[in-house]
Amino acid sequence: MTATNRERPRPSWLPRFWAVVRYEMLWNIRKKKFIGIVIAAFALVTVDLALPAFFNVSENPDFAATFSVGNLVFFLIALVTVMNSISGEFESGTIVPLLTKPVSRTTVFLAKLFAAFVIIIVTYTVLFIYSTVGGIVVYGPQDNLQLVPLALIGNVISTFVWVAIILAIGSISKSSLFAALGGLVLFIAFVFAGSIIASVSNEAGALNYVPGGGATGALNVAQRSQNITIQNITVSMNSISTGTDNIGTNLVNYARYPSATVNITRTDVFSTPPKVIQLYTESIGLIALRSIAVAFAYILVFLFIAWFAFKRAQILE
Amino acid sequence: MELVIETNNLTKRYGALTAVNKLNLKVQRGSIHGFLGPNGAGKTTTIKIIVGLLRPDEGTVKVLGHELHGGKNEGFLQTFREQADSRLGIGYMPELPKFPKHLKGSELLDIYGRMYGMTEQQRKEQIPKLIEMVGLTGRENDLIGKYSKGMQQRIGIAQALLNSPELVILDEPSLGLDPVGMVEVRELVKNIAREGITVFVSSHLLFEVEQICTDVTIINRGTALASDTLQNVSGLLTGPAMIHVEVAQMSQNIINAVKSLPFVSNVTQTGNSLIIQVTTHEDVRTQVSKEITRAGGIIVDMSQKTSNLEDVFIQLVSKDQEGKTQ
Repeated sequence: MTATNRERPRPSWLPRFWAVVRYEMLWNIRKKKFIGIVIAAFALVTVDLALPAFFNVSENPDFAATFSVGNLVFFLIALVTVMNSISGEFESGTIVPLLTKPVSRTTVFLAKLFAAFVIIIVTYTVLFIYSTVGGIVVYGPQDNLQLVPLALIGNVISTFVWVAIILAIGSISKSSLFAALGGLVLFIAFVFAGSIIASVSNEAGALNYVPGGGATGALNVAQRSQNITIQNITVSMNSISTGTDNIGTNLVNYARYPSATVNITRTDVFSTPPKVIQLYTESIGLIALRSIAVAFAYILVFLFIAWFAFKRAQILE
Repeated sequence: MELVIETNNLTKRYGALTAVNKLNLKVQRGSIHGFLGPNGAGKTTTIKIIVGLLRPDEGTVKVLGHELHGGKNEGFLQTFREQADSRLGIGYMPELPKFPKHLKGSELLDIYGRMYGMTEQQRKEQIPKLIEMVGLTGRENDLIGKYSKGMQQRIGIAQALLNSPELVILDEPSLGLDPVGMVEVRELVKNIAREGITVFVSSHLLFEVEQICTDVTIINRGTALASDTLQNVSGLLTGPAMIHVEVAQMSQNIINAVKSLPFVSNVTQTGNSLIIQVTTHEDVRTQVSKEITRAGGIIVDMSQKTSNLEDVFIQLVSKDQEGKTQ
């Protein structure tokens, strides 16, 4: 004889949450697209590490872990991790058996989000370890490696802005294609808008409040504190982007040069020759903290939209 | 008698289309309740409301004692109201179920078992039993993506029974199965009911409902046309019943004698056979037999066509269609 609902002990929330996390993790790990992107990221890091050695560049950067595979790879990892996290369930019809189990939609949503977080943090950790070890192999001993975890956390926050945006588009449209294209269009639009605004407008500061690269400027190395070694600072470390995509780099810069400032500039491409116009100066600390605040604001708003759309969704499929 | 499903004036609209229209459904504990209706009658929409996949526009739903939806009156708060625990005692197999292709059959059951809060011990005992019961032994470690439609249907039944439910809801369980699979599913449903589980099964297959159900609700255009025990619903047939008689030698005396019976409305002769239309649904073969014998006839064969669910279904649905078009 079966137990009635009244006699049935109410199972605790956590095992049910973990069940959905497990369900989602298996889906992510076995996704061919995800495996492809991770392989591509590793290939890019390898090339990034190997090229200078190939061209006999005998530089010894003091922070090799800020590998320059670019924000696009982070964006793509976010994209393949969550583009069909919710919408794919609707498209394949698997949402029906899932949502008829005794787990609330909020639990399903939180578990999917948590699984995405774990997948991204594990992937980045492996990539960072690979890049750091690779940097040591190629360039010899590196300085400031204690800041690698800080860069990793920053990059995870940056990626989660895109995770939230893509989840929200997928949740509203119930289409993986819309989620992927919508995310990509926004990513490209912000990159282009950033470049255009940085070239023609004096209002580059506005870019600090949209997802993406933000304004550009130069780290004022002259003002950094005296007790920090200045040898072997690479040129790339002086170039700063202030947006939510660069939280990792800016956090590292802030940790290394807490009192440094950044000269925000724009390049006037209409003058001959193009000239760099200085717009304003702000501290690296403000830039790092503001980009984190802006990132969290976007993450919370878009995750709320995604959750609300998922919670309200009627399953017509 | 305790009700496991109870809907009151349940209504669901998709734009201008009313898919479910003031439906009052009552499913008694321990019954095998057939939910019968033509395609597009509102069966799947009703079931989706019952299992929490859709919200009704009006009316209430009570499943295993849990009030699921409060209609539109709750407004915005309805978004936050979700009684996931009410599903602890429900097993549900959707119409043409789709499961994640990247999972193995046994993995799927294990994960769903965890969602029900089953312990490892419970899962270890229950999953192999269910896999054997639905005939998937040897294929449980294959990816679901490699399963045939019939195998997906079987794993669908297994996951619906995973939590030892008190109510199993099966939406068109035979859809897409071959004849052997259909027979197996019917046997499975009967076995489930023998264990004291209430089964609510939707189908558009009359013979399937007739063979396995104890109770039936006939639905068309979102409205229940009849809802009772199978026997009572089958007895709803109105209009002439038929008696077929074959005699050794036909004569006018026999025809006149039959026509003289008060409940006979029409007699058609074909050779030595008579088709007698009667105005009653009672068994009147004895009276007909006596009258034919008195008129000198020797009866070779006699049968009364009793009303079955198919007749009732066709009659009710046709009447409903006529009523709607007038």
